[in-house]
Amino acid sequence: MQRNETLVLALPKGRILGEVVPMIRRAGIEIEPEFDNEDSRQLRFKTNHPGVDVIRVRNFDVATFVAFGAAHMGVAGNDVLMEFDYPEIYAPLDLGIGRCRIAVAAPQEDANREDPSRWSRLTVATKYPGITKRHFAARGVQAECIKLNGAMELAPTLGLSRRIVDLVQTGSTLKANGLVEIEHIADITSRFIVNRVALKTRPTEIGGWIERLREAADAA
Amino acid sequence: MNETLHPALLPLGLRDLLPPSAGVEAEAVGRLMAVLASHGYDRVKPPLVEFEENLLTGAGAAMATATFRMMDPISQRMIGVRADMTPQVARIATTRLLKSPRPLRLSYAGQALRVKGSQIRSERQVGQVGAELIGSDEPSADVEVVALAAEALGSLGIAGLSVDLTLPTLVPALCAAFGIVGEEADAVRAALDHKDAAAVAASGGAAAEVLGKLLSAAGPAKPALAALAQLDLPPEAAAERESLETVVRQLEAAMPDLAVTIDPIENRGFEYHTGISFTLFAKGVRGELGRGGRYRAGSGKGEPATGFTLYTDTVVRALPPQEPAKRVYIPVASDDTVAKKLRTQGWVTVAGLAPVTDAENEARRLQCSHVLSGGTAKPV
Repeated sequence: MQRNETLVLALPKGRILGEVVPMIRRAGIEIEPEFDNEDSRQLRFKTNHPGVDVIRVRNFDVATFVAFGAAHMGVAGNDVLMEFDYPEIYAPLDLGIGRCRIAVAAPQEDANREDPSRWSRLTVATKYPGITKRHFAARGVQAECIKLNGAMELAPTLGLSRRIVDLVQTGSTLKANGLVEIEHIADITSRFIVNRVALKTRPTEIGGWIERLREAADAA
Repeated sequence: MNETLHPALLPLGLRDLLPPSAGVEAEAVGRLMAVLASHGYDRVKPPLVEFEENLLTGAGAAMATATFRMMDPISQRMIGVRADMTPQVARIATTRLLKSPRPLRLSYAGQALRVKGSQIRSERQVGQVGAELIGSDEPSADVEVVALAAEALGSLGIAGLSVDLTLPTLVPALCAAFGIVGEEADAVRAALDHKDAAAVAASGGAAAEVLGKLLSAAGPAKPALAALAQLDLPPEAAAERESLETVVRQLEAAMPDLAVTIDPIENRGFEYHTGISFTLFAKGVRGELGRGGRYRAGSGKGEPATGFTLYTDTVVRALPPQEPAKRVYIPVASDDTVAKKLRTQGWVTVAGLAPVTDAENEARRLQCSHVLSGGTAKPV
């Protein structure tokens, strides 16, 4: 069952892509021009290396493609890596881009009034149910997560949940919605990730790309 | 909420194997077992279910969270369905076969059940084929089991085989030597498991430098050994490194074509291993073909042992495309001796039960490649 030998590099759409592409380019990978066309329906792109293709997927899906070995390498935030905690993903390199943090936030008045040490359970609106459950379980609280894909900041004011767990970059969205950051969970940056089996069975090739990305990240 | 259950629906992670997959799997298991038997590994067959206490002691403790349990109405004790056969074979070796001469070589094949699958492999019932070599701590025993696993997989025609060697005791020895314990050690472990160099540097404390070097030493055997040789290791870890060198050297001599990589810090799934361990991969095949390594067989201090387990579902995925068997349709009332002769020549014969007007058409309908006509098999 020998599949095609082409290495697939998965890059995340959206916020981080603008920072990722120059770094990939510094590592010597030029992606075909169609990649920059926002309206393109193409999902898989050739590069100047005949043995390397690039795919563009949602950031959560980068981790999934790499974990299952459908892509061999990728770039993903450690928020995504923490959420899934896939044992099949190695994250050998911190690219130092896409900096933000993941935090717990609540309406100011609730944060002042409540005593979290008395809680046994709590509803939280989040895109990260895994991280949220682990974070609260570590101090003896069951978090019942309501999975939202955006506009988390609406949840507390509309009575959907008492807390939210979300990425915070500057804090201005929280502030605009009357929320305050009350707990820091982790600092987030983008990582260069590789599939475990791919690294084990093609150590020289994949190891070579890790080195080139390391140089590109160090030069930044 | 009384939904009718579809008769074909199975619980998560369980499946029916259909033709030809079921046949392919059975044949692969048979061939693997034949290779093990030819090297003097005698087959044992432990039961599906055992007392929990016995199933989960020693090396079996690693499977505690994966084991289905129930109460045995007869003994009123908890019993568990095996989630892995290795602890059972170790139990047999150190109890019923305690008086058998050492080194003791045993093989086994069977099914195991787990309470849940992994994130990327949902299977809960897993087929296992394995071999255990009990009673020797010689490096030649390590070499024998790795080479045997590779030979067995090679006999199935699996291409791009590679073996990744690891020393699960190395990191704990280093952490102990540098006084890294408790939560600190857990953080180091998690960072190493994800090969996260930045986190290793941040959480490694006094050991950060040497751990970082270990991390970057992983890769093809030769450069990895050279990088390991540069490291200043505490005595216990240095001894481990030395036996790894010996094993790699002997393995290269025994199997020059086998791709060998070394990952000195790989630990996941090796928590109860006590020495050189390994994982088997094939290029382009998702998941592991198998894994194995050193452990202590039996309770208490136990006996030195090593061995491996192959996972039949992954092994089958790695097989080269199979030539379909030649199948010949034998119309009813044909000469019986011809069919018999064809079977001895390796044909599969499919007997007609009632007369048909168009035998060739009937052969095609029954997915036969040939039809018996005029005393010979004719392609359809």
